[in-house]
Amino acid sequence: MTQSPFLLCARQELLLAVRSRWTQVFAAVFAGLSLAVAVSGYTLSGGRGVQDFSRTTASIVQLVLLLVPLSALLIGVLSLSPERGAAELLFSQPVSRRSVFLGQAAGLWAALTAAQAIGFGAAGAVIFSHSGSEGIGGFALLFAGASVLTASFLGIAAILSAGVVGRRRAKALALALVIWFVATVLFDILALGLASLLRSGTASRVLIVSVVLNPIGALRTGALLALQGTTAFGSASLAFLRFTKGPGGAAMLLSGSLLLWTAVPFVFAVRRLEKADI
Amino acid sequence: MIRFASFGKAFGTHVAVTGLDLTIEGGETVALLGPNGSGKTTCLKAAAGLILPSSGQVLVDGIPASRPKARQSLSFLPQKVAFPEALTGLEVVEFYRKLRGAPAGRDREVLRFASLNGASERFVGTYSGGMVQRLGLAVAALPDSPVLLLDEPTAALDPEGLCAFYALVEKRKKQGKTVLFTSHHLGDVERLADRFAVLVGGRLAAVLSSTELASRLAERGVLRLRLDRRPENLLEALRPLSPAATWSGDELILPGPASGRPALIDAVRAAGAGILSLTADEGRLDALYSELVGGKE
Ligand SMILES: Nc1ncnc2c1ncn2[C@@H]1O[C@H](COP(=O)(O)OP(=O)(O)O)[C@@H](O)[C@H]1O
Ligand SMILES: [Mg+2]
Repeated sequence: MTQSPFLLCARQELLLAVRSRWTQVFAAVFAGLSLAVAVSGYTLSGGRGVQDFSRTTASIVQLVLLLVPLSALLIGVLSLSPERGAAELLFSQPVSRRSVFLGQAAGLWAALTAAQAIGFGAAGAVIFSHSGSEGIGGFALLFAGASVLTASFLGIAAILSAGVVGRRRAKALALALVIWFVATVLFDILALGLASLLRSGTASRVLIVSVVLNPIGALRTGALLALQGTTAFGSASLAFLRFTKGPGGAAMLLSGSLLLWTAVPFVFAVRRLEKADI
Repeated sequence: MIRFASFGKAFGTHVAVTGLDLTIEGGETVALLGPNGSGKTTCLKAAAGLILPSSGQVLVDGIPASRPKARQSLSFLPQKVAFPEALTGLEVVEFYRKLRGAPAGRDREVLRFASLNGASERFVGTYSGGMVQRLGLAVAALPDSPVLLLDEPTAALDPEGLCAFYALVEKRKKQGKTVLFTSHHLGDVERLADRFAVLVGGRLAAVLSSTELASRLAERGVLRLRLDRRPENLLEALRPLSPAATWSGDELILPGPASGRPALIDAVRAAGAGILSLTADEGRLDALYSELVGGKE
């Protein structure tokens, strides 16, 4: 019985990711910080738990928005752009480049999601053992969102790494860091800066677009909406919510943005790979 | 079995191979010779579907090499193969065996064939360069594919790997399979190949049978002798047979074709000298390359 190349490559990549120092470090750092945030939130509330639920989960959202894209980009590029001799042997096998590459990406996604599950599990255990199950649904939704965000930044890493072998990896890795910086830091500053220069109608339109244009912004808005209602909203999210006329429409638009940000990069990555000389 | 039809490949503006027409028939063993940078690897990788032609096409069994189906009939060993360092030799072989749909028993067989059965549980990261290349050879030997493509097998393999390589090629030849390999210098590969395609500067300079190649090289050979004494006028006596005859230290250097050597030895003896030692070098390939490009002969 022959096995599907997609599954074979996914399993192999999962195994490699579990053995990789990088994934292990990410899992440990993410778990450590999530736990620290959860414990300090509980301590700051004077041991009464619930009171600081909102601030605690907002911190965890920030943690996810910073670490998840970074890990997916770095670990994605490192794993998806192999050494030349490895790529030559792998892609000379009688299977399509697409199934090999998407299989590897799927394996990585599973590994990173599992690593995040450790952090979420640890932080969730602390938070909800003190505050009861209130907000647990939103927390689960944040975990799901993190795993979609992982997929979408793996997609961007896939574009950077498709057909890249040997020495050109360093360039792809540098580009990954630049993209991370732009997406997590620069993008919001630029959107807010631009909005402050415009008349209020146009400004809020810029902010609304900025929320769906950046998968990080989409997850931030979605997560805060799910966890805290509208209490912790920034100006972009508020404008966005007014535009969608309520949480239902907002949820649909945000999910759509995240899913597109996952599918489209992979389409481009596979196209690039199929045209590449290995 | 493998057909390069006006195959050309340019990397940006750099032309690596141009206008290559070459057909390798089923059951043939062909060596692709040429100096470094002449385009040998480019041709082999195009046949393995790794490089897309800029012009013309490369067909394997009539199917364009870039299609996965074409690669079903071939095994390719890159010039410098690599594997994830965190996998064991056995895990690597298992992965490729499943990818090729080969039977489970093949794992141990090919590991033993590549003299890696002792190291199969170790991580590839702990392997020496020669062992990694042998693991590549093991993977290439996994499927019983009709075509074997090997890039510079004699350059990267260690002695144990070379033994395995010769055994593999000879076995495949006996089974009537096709083998195409590259080499930038001759060694023992001479006796393996039925035909030699010589690439120089991305162009096919010549296709020679093994006897043709041997005689071409022999014409450019050198006979070196050490004598027990130096008879007077010896060089003058030898010049009609080997015009470039000369002394280099205490060694007598006699350039010329292999067929002229018995007469040279007779002439040395006739002059009254005893021969202490004798070496004969065949012609160097690089001389043949420049000759072929220069269009001489
Ligand atoms: N990926 C590549 N990008 C740019 N140039 C390349 C690439 N691969 C090979 N070349 C160039 O093409 C020529 C032929 O290379 P190659 O086929 O590797 O030669 P050989 O195997 O005979 O040494 C060389 O000049 C080499 O520098
Ligand atoms: Mg080469």
